[in-house]
Amino acid sequence: MRIKKGFVLREVCGENIIVGEGLGAVNFGKMLALNETAAWLWTKAMDLGEFTSDDLVDQLCDEYEVSHEEARPDVTAILDEWLKVGVIE
Amino acid sequence: MQRNTIKRLSGMCVSRYYQVAEHRFCVRGDESCFSLMANYQPFACADGEALFSLAISSGEAPEFTEELRQDDVEQMIVCGHTAAGDAVFGFVWDGATAGWLVCSADYHAGRLITTGQYTKLAIDNALMILFALATADKRTALFHAAVVSHQGRGYMFLGPSGTGKSTHARLWLRYIEGTELVNDDNPVVRVGQDGVATVFGSPWSGKTPCYRNLSYPLGGVVLLSQAPYNKIQRLGALQAYAALVPSISGKRWDARIADGLHATENALAMQVPVWHLECLPDEAAAQLCKGEINGER
Repeated sequence: MRIKKGFVLREVCGENIIVGEGLGAVNFGKMLALNETAAWLWTKAMDLGEFTSDDLVDQLCDEYEVSHEEARPDVTAILDEWLKVGVIE
Repeated sequence: MQRNTIKRLSGMCVSRYYQVAEHRFCVRGDESCFSLMANYQPFACADGEALFSLAISSGEAPEFTEELRQDDVEQMIVCGHTAAGDAVFGFVWDGATAGWLVCSADYHAGRLITTGQYTKLAIDNALMILFALATADKRTALFHAAVVSHQGRGYMFLGPSGTGKSTHARLWLRYIEGTELVNDDNPVVRVGQDGVATVFGSPWSGKTPCYRNLSYPLGGVVLLSQAPYNKIQRLGALQAYAALVPSISGKRWDARIADGLHATENALAMQVPVWHLECLPDEAAAQLCKGEINGER
């Protein structure tokens, strides 16, 4: 998977929001609010470029004191939402 | 005779300076260009250091790679870049190309190549684009909105084309004493070092000739939508941000422009009250809006 071109994470009024700004994303027309973990994962996904669900689970486990079993459902849920909204592909 | 006069003068290039929202810019062209620029006259200023400059002359189409087309009701803007990295904007009106703006990557120096068709449209579009892009990192935003003044403050009405921004402004003018029109289509907002937002008139005002060199503290912003009833509610900061973004001109696929506009939008969303007014085009809508805004003060 990868983050679609043109989507960026911005701090809007103190909250983490994904907005469409680049070519191909300028007509996205909505904003996606992320909690702190989701925003952290977005940054990691951005750094990785191409990534899998397991890559993000590994990253989360390295950073936070959480087991793979605990992290996996959270990561899956976040990625499902991102796919549904259309900010990753 | 008239034709000869214009031809004789057309060789003489002069520079004129204008100041909009306290940003100075320079336009270089011949007399035939300036004869189309009466709307800039209230903004004429002394020579001096300019934030950006535009040179106008007729010529052939530049070679460029297209990035994006912005299709509007009557006009289309074709955006792209040259092999050398200059930004290009082509202006198409009613199927005919009016001209091309070719400008440096930092948007501080541009030249407008005119085709001889719809030249005024090309000049206004080129200056609006350069203004919006050259000021994007200066806590300045060029809006698509109507603005009225009332009791020493400016109130800005937003909404997609056809929502009734001008209509709502007219309702204020008609029914609310002491209201004046500041701008009907393209006002400028600046956020000062102190965080206070000011709204300015501009030489661009859509179909309404309202080119007033005025400024007011921005008292509030109202996002309009049509409804079979009148209802107003204050928006939270995030909703306010979402309401502001689509009303601001820019080239958001240029990350530097997007960063600059975001800073301005974020400051406005946190500091300026923003309402959503669902309304009919009637007096009650204007009175409801004014009452709510006055309650805020």
